Amino acid sequence: MLNFEDVEERDGVRFSWNVWPSSRIEATRTVVPIAALYTPLKIREDLPPVLYEPVACKPPCRAVLNPYCQIDIRGKLWICPFCLSRNAFPPHYKDISSTNLPAELLPKYTTIEYTLARPAQVPPVFLFVVDTCLDEDDLKALRDALVISLSLLPPYALVGLITFGTMTLVHELGYNECSKSYVFRGGKEYQPKQIQDMLGLSSQNRAAPRPGQPLPPQSFGASRFLLPVSQVEFQLTGILETLTRDPWPVANDKRALRCTGVALSVAVGLLETTYPSTGARIMLFAGGPATEGPGMVVSNELKEPIRSHHDIDRDSAKHYKRAIKFYEALGKRASNNGHVVDLFAGCLDQVGLQEMKSLPGSTNGVIVLSDSFATSIFKQSFLRLFNKDDQGHLQMGFNATFDVQTTKELRVSGLIGHAISAGKKSACVGETEIGIGQTSAWKINAITPRTSTGVYFEVVTPAGQPLQQGSRGLIQFITHYQHASGQQRLRVSTMARNFAEAGSPSVAASFDQEAAAVLMARIAVFKAEVDDSPDVLRWLDRMLIRLCQKFADYRKEDSTSFRLTDNFSIYPQFMFHLRRSQFLQVFNNSPDETAFYRHVLNEEDVNNSLIMIQPTLMSYTFDAQPQPVLLDSVSIKHDVILLLDTFFHILIFHGEQVAQWRKQGYQEQEGYENFKELLELPVVDAQELLVDRFPIPRYIVCDQGGSQARFLLSKLNPSTTHMSTTMYGTSTGGAGQAIFTDDVSLQVFMEHLKRLAVGAQTN
Amino acid sequence: AAENQFQSQQTQAPGQPHPYFTQPLEQPTYLEPYDQQQQQRSNYVQPGVDALAGQFGQMGMGGQKQFQLYTTNLLTSPPDPHELFKPPPEIRLPPNACISPSPYANAEPSYQRCTINAIPTTSSLLNKAKIPLALVLTPYRSLKDGDDAVPVVTDTVIARCRRCRTYINPYVQFIDGGNRWRCCMCNMSNEVPQLFDWDQATNQPGDRWQRAELNHSIVEFVAPTEYMVRPPQPAVYVFLIDVSHSAVQSGMVATATRTILENLGRIPDEDGRTKVALICYDTSLYFFSISAESSMLVVSDIEDVFLPKPTDLLVNLAECRAPLESLLGRINDMFRENSIIGSAMGPALQAGYKLMSAIGGKLVVLSSSLPSVGAGALKNREDPKILGTAKESGLLQAASPFYKTFAIDCSRAQVSVDMFLFSQVYQDVASLSHLPHYTSGQTYYYPAFNAARPEDALKFAREFGDVLAMPIMLEAVMRVRASRGLRMSSFHGNFFVRSTDLLAMPAVPQDQSYAIEIQIEETITTPFVVFQTAVLHTTCYGERRIRVVTLALPTTTNLSEVFASADQIAIATLLANKAVERSLTHKLEDARDFVHQKLVDILVAYKSSMTSGGAGASAQLAISDNLKMLPVLVLGLLKNVGLRQSGQIPPDIRAYAQAMLTSLPSQLLIPYIYPVFYSLHDMPPEAGTVGESGVIMPPPLPLSSERLQRYGLFLIEDGQTIFLWVGRDAVPQLIMDVFDLPSYDVLRGGKITLPVLENPFSQRVNAVIQKTREMRRGVYYPHLYVVKEDGEPALRLWALSALIHDRADMLPSYQMFLTSLKEKVNST
Ligand SMILES: [Zn+2]
Ligand SMILES: [Zn+2]
Repeated sequence: MLNFEDVEERDGVRFSWNVWPSSRIEATRTVVPIAALYTPLKIREDLPPVLYEPVACKPPCRAVLNPYCQIDIRGKLWICPFCLSRNAFPPHYKDISSTNLPAELLPKYTTIEYTLARPAQVPPVFLFVVDTCLDEDDLKALRDALVISLSLLPPYALVGLITFGTMTLVHELGYNECSKSYVFRGGKEYQPKQIQDMLGLSSQNRAAPRPGQPLPPQSFGASRFLLPVSQVEFQLTGILETLTRDPWPVANDKRALRCTGVALSVAVGLLETTYPSTGARIMLFAGGPATEGPGMVVSNELKEPIRSHHDIDRDSAKHYKRAIKFYEALGKRASNNGHVVDLFAGCLDQVGLQEMKSLPGSTNGVIVLSDSFATSIFKQSFLRLFNKDDQGHLQMGFNATFDVQTTKELRVSGLIGHAISAGKKSACVGETEIGIGQTSAWKINAITPRTSTGVYFEVVTPAGQPLQQGSRGLIQFITHYQHASGQQRLRVSTMARNFAEAGSPSVAASFDQEAAAVLMARIAVFKAEVDDSPDVLRWLDRMLIRLCQKFADYRKEDSTSFRLTDNFSIYPQFMFHLRRSQFLQVFNNSPDETAFYRHVLNEEDVNNSLIMIQPTLMSYTFDAQPQPVLLDSVSIKHDVILLLDTFFHILIFHGEQVAQWRKQGYQEQEGYENFKELLELPVVDAQELLVDRFPIPRYIVCDQGGSQARFLLSKLNPSTTHMSTTMYGTSTGGAGQAIFTDDVSLQVFMEHLKRLAVGAQTN
Repeated sequence: AAENQFQSQQTQAPGQPHPYFTQPLEQPTYLEPYDQQQQQRSNYVQPGVDALAGQFGQMGMGGQKQFQLYTTNLLTSPPDPHELFKPPPEIRLPPNACISPSPYANAEPSYQRCTINAIPTTSSLLNKAKIPLALVLTPYRSLKDGDDAVPVVTDTVIARCRRCRTYINPYVQFIDGGNRWRCCMCNMSNEVPQLFDWDQATNQPGDRWQRAELNHSIVEFVAPTEYMVRPPQPAVYVFLIDVSHSAVQSGMVATATRTILENLGRIPDEDGRTKVALICYDTSLYFFSISAESSMLVVSDIEDVFLPKPTDLLVNLAECRAPLESLLGRINDMFRENSIIGSAMGPALQAGYKLMSAIGGKLVVLSSSLPSVGAGALKNREDPKILGTAKESGLLQAASPFYKTFAIDCSRAQVSVDMFLFSQVYQDVASLSHLPHYTSGQTYYYPAFNAARPEDALKFAREFGDVLAMPIMLEAVMRVRASRGLRMSSFHGNFFVRSTDLLAMPAVPQDQSYAIEIQIEETITTPFVVFQTAVLHTTCYGERRIRVVTLALPTTTNLSEVFASADQIAIATLLANKAVERSLTHKLEDARDFVHQKLVDILVAYKSSMTSGGAGASAQLAISDNLKMLPVLVLGLLKNVGLRQSGQIPPDIRAYAQAMLTSLPSQLLIPYIYPVFYSLHDMPPEAGTVGESGVIMPPPLPLSSERLQRYGLFLIEDGQTIFLWVGRDAVPQLIMDVFDLPSYDVLRGGKITLPVLENPFSQRVNAVIQKTREMRRGVYYPHLYVVKEDGEPALRLWALSALIHDRADMLPSYQMFLTSLKEKVNST
């Protein structure tokens, strides 16, 4: 059996099950569906450059030649394992032999990337959509960040600028006489055709050029608004540097008028007219909620509070549904055109991410949530987006299509991730729908080495069919995308897994509890977007109980006999933390935060997702190596420093004693070098965690008893609450801290689970 | 007596050379505008008849000098252009009507004149004369060199009648030892205000008799706060510049922006509060945020116009002078390559309105094309087939209700619209000119403007520059009060009638004329009546003022006095207004018939009541001497482009002429309907040289082509256009001296700039042309066309159409016109 991590290294994939039940019935009984968390662009340093076109099976199959194909060297034929068709090799493969095989047929290249001959016609486009209803400091910080970003963009990338406040301004960068912008009213819903006309992008009534005089190229068309960075960097920098706050007055009892919806619709309209079906990012920088026009989140009356989860639940958020509908429609237009919408929020309050989430959600844009554009969370996250690979190319692919091919025993149920259906009704589309279904291909408009998609399958073989010896199923992921260099590339990963006969223990032994937890978390969050959260929790519980019933060792009705094998043992704990995580317990968060957290969960790989579900906790103390400790209130001790990583927060917590010493400044004194070292150690580790994290987590340093410590307490298993008697651990002073909560502890949760699993009475 | 006079003229007339040939030419004053000739007012009557008139002195009411009636037989007395320069019949008030000995106590005709200078006491008497009773006024006449400034009463002590709100004037009576005054309109006894006799400047008792309002018929009061609904507004100029393809290509944009740039310093801004904005438009609107770093904001949402910015669009002229100059210097470059065709003029107007509606001011539109999109969009409705038909008047009405409703919005917001129009093709001047019409603005038209011709650029730049430099009256309302028994019944001109008799004029330009018809509602018992025009306004430097023009006229019960005091210039001015109005409400033909009938009615009335001919047929066509130019003026009006019977006049040209007919003051209107005609090649030696009162002009000729000679050089001008007519046999020396060309053959017809050459004749001709361009009020700088006798037919016909004594096409010669008049008169 392969190590899951090794497989992940090679193919960027983690399956919930690595040996598959051989019939539909068996598969249903395994509770957790066969599913893969796949990272298409996982960085593979060892991949050879493949500069030729892939060999594909005849239509409609189109599966790509791979190491699992049977080849007939003499006949110059290969047999497609997906459709069993015979295909002749193309003429230039005439020299292949068993010792001279192209890379794609070598067993080590189950994942391979082709660089296709036809490059993208248009360089990537970056359209900044900038809120100007900001205070001076914020605006300045944002301007500075944008100016820096220009230097990080490839010089050939096209760039554009839209600013908004009471109105929306599209800046004409190609105009040299003075700064010039097209203004759209903030309170009005513009139709795509109107936007096109008003920007002069359509063929208007124009005088014919005089004979011999061609029309000046820049007098109309997209080139006025979207130009190569190298050409407009100076002018755009000038515009950004002189960008001032929205000039319209704001009364004391009002919010600034902010027409985010119009700005976005103009941005989408501009790109869909000028650069359809090519890589483009709309980057929205919002310093507050939309208060004007379509997509309005809250009115500009300060006395009207912005909606909460309660308001949304009670259906009393008066702009909510209309705004959702508006942004969804916009998201649909953007995603259909291969464009991306990123949301950067720089605001202490909410900006309406909840309403706008479908934009990055359907286009795989990023969401960065920060208190202000002057924070390093914003600045570093934003600039990190432009990280380059070794060749100096942005680590950012565009306009991808993601195709899934299966052998006949399997069908695709759907995908959960930031994609939209490409509407491919191939033979491998299954009946059951999980996530975005009814298709075997999806569009992913932005794709990075982090992008991880959850793909769900069903087994369709009827029960009772004899299983051939060594029978295996194949899955091929084909990702076609526009590389930042302008090349079109095709990444192909082909995976084979064995089927097991009914009752075989190999299925259970192949369970990847980490991948399963993450894949189930994606389903739960997907359900939570449409269903009430209690329903989702009940569903999660039911699935967990059924899984335990199926795979645990126990005597009926004897909960003390309940045992789980190692590869299932921490799964319940993941579910426990998932249940109480911000992904499913929304009421301690704002709708914007919820939208943000859920969005990030759907982007990351197994490891990062697990951190989100069950944060990691490291403990630092004298005379001991730093060590991971239980995410439990018992881990809080007076003389330790804790380092919590929730993925979104990185928190350094000083136990009471440590905090006291620190306050007294011992670390600065001679003879206390070891204390100084102790203080520094978690800081260094925290920096390491930050290195490749996106978005940059919130970094918190707090002391036991301080108000910021609540971030830690909320994540800990409340094994010692103000309600509990000492059930675990000791009650002696210094060990553990009581947490004020009504939540059940992991121990209680497990007791219930055992009892339910074994079928005991649950009094 | 009247008959005698007639007889004597009869014997004198036939066979005699026309008086203007024998008149001594040392009388340069005859060419001076009549309103500059105050000193001549009392002695215009020729010496011979003065004595005669004196005999009747005692016969009138109240002891004033009686008007003597002189009859002229039109058939034997050809019109003499000199007559048009004479002042109107004298106003002979009863002694003591005026409390001031000042010669300025009664209104100067250039400010305000009446069609009849002796008001009939009853409407039936007026009816007998058939002469329309009306005031013709230009309360904001410009001041030319030598004109007296309007005296200003600065102490804010404003004495007004408690009952009828008349302003105190030289025709009131002080009673009760000077403590009270009796209103000349309603006879109300009013208290004299406490500080009336106090000199606030020296803080000492003052001399009431020095007060301007008691000595001057025209006076301006500085208004105290009671006269303000808000603090005086600053002057605001919002320029809407068409930058569509044709506008840029014609050079309009370059010329307009350069002219604004060069005249920024002339825009009235004594108080440093004047504000300016620029909006360019094609099918989009281009706003400018004016600051050190000016920026352009494009609004293409023309269905729903909005301002793209709350600040910096309308800026203080003085503070933003440098950025404004820089911007104006670049606008033409910004749009140099613009290929967009179409005009969102209506939306541009709405945008300008939004920008300034809180303040008011002037909205200056420069447009080269037919508005094609957004509010006020118009269709090309020019249809050669309906020209000359009954349907033609439809083309002279506004094609879209926008032009009236928007104008009324403007009027309410104290916004006045000026239209500068430049199109090569149909632009619907009729619709567009509605905006100036209702907002006291003015329409200026430069058909087929092409700045590549220096003459076009120069004319527009001159006129536009003068409009910019013009001091204007803002936020004005005008009301005319009159003595008991008289009522202002209908109003003509560029304004909006807000309530029954209150005329709203958001920004009053100089030299705009209005006509107000008067009804005699009850028998007038006073020996004289008073008309007082009050214009409450804000000066363009932020002072609230009231301009008051008081005109006192004697009353009469005598029909012959009514005729003898009639003012043919004022009558012609009124008829021009009435005719245009009628052409819009009815048909062009009705308008012509109406004017024609009005003349016939007067002639019939005169014949039946003032001549022995009575009701029977007469061999003569009699009219009082002071009305003898009326028939030819009416003929000129009937032949004017605004009214002429023709199937050839483009509707835009027609509509513009109508706009002129209804807004020009008499001084400009009269030459516009009765042009001036000089023979230059044989002009007297002094003509074209500088005399005591400036350049001496040649004697004007009657407008007949009989005067044209094949070897001659002639000048015909109507205040808007100057034609230099060159006879086909003009000697090479003449061509050389004037045009610096070897011969007639190489001379080309058309618009020119006449060279000033090193020879006396060239200099004299140039002096005459320059004087022609300068001698009248108004901003017009006429084009000069060279017309060759055998040149381009269209140009020739145009020039010849000014010679209204001639027969042309369907239009009768003056002789034919008189004959038909005589027939009508005899058959009535
Ligand atoms: Zn195949
Ligand atoms: Zn009175």
